[in-house]
This record gives sequence, C-alpha cells and structure tokens, in this order.
Amino acid sequence: MHIKSDAEGPSVLEDPVAHLWRGTVALRVVTFLFALGNVAVHATGYERQWLAWAVIGVMAGWTAFTTRAYSRESGRQPWVVLADLVVSCVLMSLSPLAMTDLQLLANVPLLTTIWACGPAVAAGALAGRYAGAASGGVIGLCTYLNRGAMSVDLVRDVVLLAGAGFVVGMASSTARRSAVRLAQALRTEAATAERERLARSIHDGVLQVLARVRKRGMELGGEAAELAELAGEQEVALRSLVAASPVESTVDGESDLNPALQILATQKVQVSTPATQVMLPAVVALELTAVVREMLSNVDKHAGPGAKAWVLLEDLGEQVVVSIRDDGPGIPEGRIDDAEAEGRMGIAKSIRGRVALLGGTLELQTGPGEGTEWEVRVFRVGGVR
Amino acid sequence: MTVSVMVVDDHPLWRDGVARDLAERGFEVVATAGDAASATRIARAVRPDVVLMDLNLGELSGVDATAMITGELPGTRVLVLSASGEHDDVLQAVKAGASGYLVKSASAEELVDAVNRTAAGDAVFTAGLAGLVLGEYRRMAATPDEEDKPQLTERETEVLRLVAKGLTARQIATRLVISHRTVENHVQSTLRKLQLHNRVELARYAIEHGLDAEPEA
Repeated sequence: MHIKSDAEGPSVLEDPVAHLWRGTVALRVVTFLFALGNVAVHATGYERQWLAWAVIGVMAGWTAFTTRAYSRESGRQPWVVLADLVVSCVLMSLSPLAMTDLQLLANVPLLTTIWACGPAVAAGALAGRYAGAASGGVIGLCTYLNRGAMSVDLVRDVVLLAGAGFVVGMASSTARRSAVRLAQALRTEAATAERERLARSIHDGVLQVLARVRKRGMELGGEAAELAELAGEQEVALRSLVAASPVESTVDGESDLNPALQILATQKVQVSTPATQVMLPAVVALELTAVVREMLSNVDKHAGPGAKAWVLLEDLGEQVVVSIRDDGPGIPEGRIDDAEAEGRMGIAKSIRGRVALLGGTLELQTGPGEGTEWEVRVFRVGGVR
Repeated sequence: MTVSVMVVDDHPLWRDGVARDLAERGFEVVATAGDAASATRIARAVRPDVVLMDLNLGELSGVDATAMITGELPGTRVLVLSASGEHDDVLQAVKAGASGYLVKSASAEELVDAVNRTAAGDAVFTAGLAGLVLGEYRRMAATPDEEDKPQLTERETEVLRLVAKGLTARQIATRLVISHRTVENHVQSTLRKLQLHNRVELARYAIEHGLDAEPEA
C-alpha cells in the first residue's frame, strides 16, 4: 500500500492556528519597540522616570516570556493568555504614577501604549471571536480607568481593541474548522485506498477459489452440488460487497442509492443499476433500500424455493424508479386485500406506508403464473441534480 | 462447425477451468492469455470466433484489448466475462465493441449458451447489462453539451427495461406481442448505436488533438 510520507502536503498534526500565534508574537515584539521609543521620547517629562524605565524592563521580560510560550504548542494555554491580560493591565495601571496629570490629559500615550493589545489578539487565537472581543474590551476598560476621563480617542481605542480580538478569533475558528475537514478528508482517502487494496486481494484470491469450487461442485452433483451452491452464494455476496463503493453521504445529506442496492444481490437476486451514482436525500435512500429488502424477503417467503428476483434501478432525473420482479407463481387476485384486512402482511402496512411517506407511488403487476412486479417511483423535489 | 474460443483472464486457476469446461462441451479452445497485450497479439494470429474477456487484467485493461480486437478483427466477437460490479469497465468494453456481458457467477449452461449466441452474432444481454445501457443513454440525455448523442426509441426503452427486469426474449415477445426476432433486433440496435457513437467520439477526439496524422497500424 502507498503510505503518504509526513513531509508532503499539509500536516494534520500541527496546530491549525500556528500562523496566528506567530503573528501574535511578531505583533508583541514590534509593539514593544514602539513602547520603548515612546518612553525614550517622553522620559524627561515624566514625574517618576525610574518607574517608567522599570515598567519597560518588565515589559521586555514579559515579551520574551510570551514569545517563548506562544511559539510552542504546549505554551498556548488559557492561563498564559489570562496572565498576559493581567500583566498588561497591571503595567498599564502604573502609568498614572509615572506620568504627570498634564501628560495624561494631553493624551500622551500610556507607558504600555499599543503593546497592551497583545492579549486581545492572543485570546482570539486561543479561544475564538468572543474571547478575543472580551479580552480587547477588558484592556479598553483598563485604559479608561487609567485615563480617568472619557474621550473620542478612548472610545476609538476600545472599539479597535475589541474588534481586533474579534476578527482574529474568527480567523482562528475558521482555520480550526478547515483543519478538521482536512483531517476528515485524509481519513476518508486512506479508508478508500485500503478498501481498494482489500478488494483487489479478495478478487485475486478468495473469489477465484470460490468460483472454482462452485463450478466443479455443480458438475459433480449430489452433496458436492449443495456445497457448491453455498460457495456460490458467498461468492456473489462477497463480489457485491467488494464492488459496491462505500455509501457516501455528502455535506448536504445526500447518499448514493446505487451501492446500497447492489449489495442486495445474491445467487437468486440480480440487481441492475446504471454505472453512475444515484444521489438522493439520505433518508429517502435508506427508506427505499428498506422497501426493497422487505420486498425481497417477501419473494423469499411467498414465491417458492426456486424463485428468482430482479431489481432494476433507474434514474430519470426528476424521478427515481426501482422495480422488483420475481418469477414465482404471482399473487392471486384478492389476496393482498385479504392480507391487508387481516393486518398481518408486510406489503400492506410497511411497504405502502413507507412509499406514501416518501411521497412516491407504488404499482403492482401480478396474476397467477405471471410472477410479481412492483414499481416504486419517488420524485426529486425542486430538481436535486 | 465448431466454434473456436480464446479465454483471456489474469487468473490461471479460473482461466484453465473455463477453458476445460468449454472444451468438454465441444468448443475448440484455440488459445488462452493472461494479459491484454498478449491477448491482442495472440488473437491477431489465431483469429478466434469468440474471445472470452476478463476486464480486470492489470496494466493494460480488458477494455483496451476489446477495442483493439474488435477494431482489427471483424470476424472475432468479444464476450465480456467479468466480476459483477465492475460497472464502468463493462460499459466501456461494450462501447468499445464487446457484444455481450456475462457475470463470472453465471452457470456453465449460461456460459455455453452465451458463447453460442455470441458466435452466432447475437448480443448477450443480461439484466445487468441492460440496466447499464439504459443508464448510459439516460446519462447522455441529461448531459447538455454532448453532441449528436444517440437516443433510444420508445420501443427500445421498453424492451431494455424488460430485459433489465429479467424477462427472456421469448417472454418479452409474448408480452409486447412482437416476434422473438424483433426483440433481438431492438436489443442489437441499442448496442450498435452506442458503439457507433463511441467510434465517432473517438475519431472526433483524435482530429481535435491532432492524432489522426498517424499512419494506420
């Protein structure tokens, strides 16, 4: 079997939002440099210059720590992001102590300045849009408390902070969802490949032997013929199983009726289908399969031991037709009605009820010596194809 | 006159078994082959009446071999004997010129009958093949951009549906009140139209892609 090496294609194992974390780290470093420049420019005007430089020192240390933490998967933890938020807010709250009141009123940037937006982006990457928006909101609120007054600039900052957290959060959720889909697709692909490999080996080995046993057994006759018949039944069942592709259902809940009917083939039941898929809403496909099973078991019970049956699946575009015919003695007139009155026959309740629920039609053609032929017709509403 | 047969199958156990069965029942098995390339080569040399073709042959498929044999040898007919469920391949083989299809699970009697009918120039239409051919016509009808696509007449559709439901030619003749021969003709015609369309398509493809300049093999 062909096994895909880890080197090619996107890896399923990597954190799907790793790129967002790399972005967060870069943002942290760049905004720290900005904050450093800001303090250097305003340093001479501060009330407590030493405190301003101390805050910058802690910011440098914290930037280094978060860079390290966010760069590896094990460090992207809720407590790290929460600590990030707390540290940022605490450092920001030291600004009024270091700065003069005049500076605060004149809208000179706080010591942490845009460096404080880091936790909003990190929360978005970690836990989605609402966490990102909330974290941004907290930082905005903290800014307001430290300034002590509301202003247009402040409101703009709060909106930008919450908005940035929200947008990063949305990108994060989308990336995670598509990673899940990719993993699903890769699993399906692997399963299909494995199935094909199995099918080939069964085809080349077991099936050939079973077919040979059946053929020779039939020729020998007697007890060998009985064994041959058993081998033959298994051969047909196995062939259908191998041939029918796995029943696929699409995102919008459709599934292929074709393979579902094909696996009903046995030594006595022939199933004829088109070579293409026959997509129907999954529920409809399931119900139709159940109806066909029911009819075939009816053939088994009532059409006599030697009776054969044929199933024909036709896709007419707006409608799908399934015909089931047997070559048994047929149902004498009145017997279906009798059975219906007695309420015991499968045809009466089960089949009619099921077909009616699907909004389909059911036709019966039978008579003594003519076999029985059912035709189930279901309609595709609003053009499914 | 004895019918000469060639058996093509990649599995030796099956191939020899079928060859012996046929020999025991009075057919002349003139050759066997295990892959598509040698099947084509040997068929050219021995020109059998009927080639029993498995489709699951590996690299070069039975479909390719069918196309080459029916294209080059007008006197040789190909009967596909394949596992049930290889639907697409069966359809392709029939379009490429095979005159019938039998599942490998068919009984020895069915096989003998099918070989005889193939040799006589009749189409061997099992219920399964009828379902596939019906499906193919409907697929073409539903494909808007396919040009000059062949269509089934109402009668042909009726006949094909009955074949697909397991009725024999005789039963169909009785039910539709037509002759047995007419039933056969309808069935043959559905195949011929499909094969003709396939050849036209291939030729058009060749011209569009500049493959027609190559000399005939």
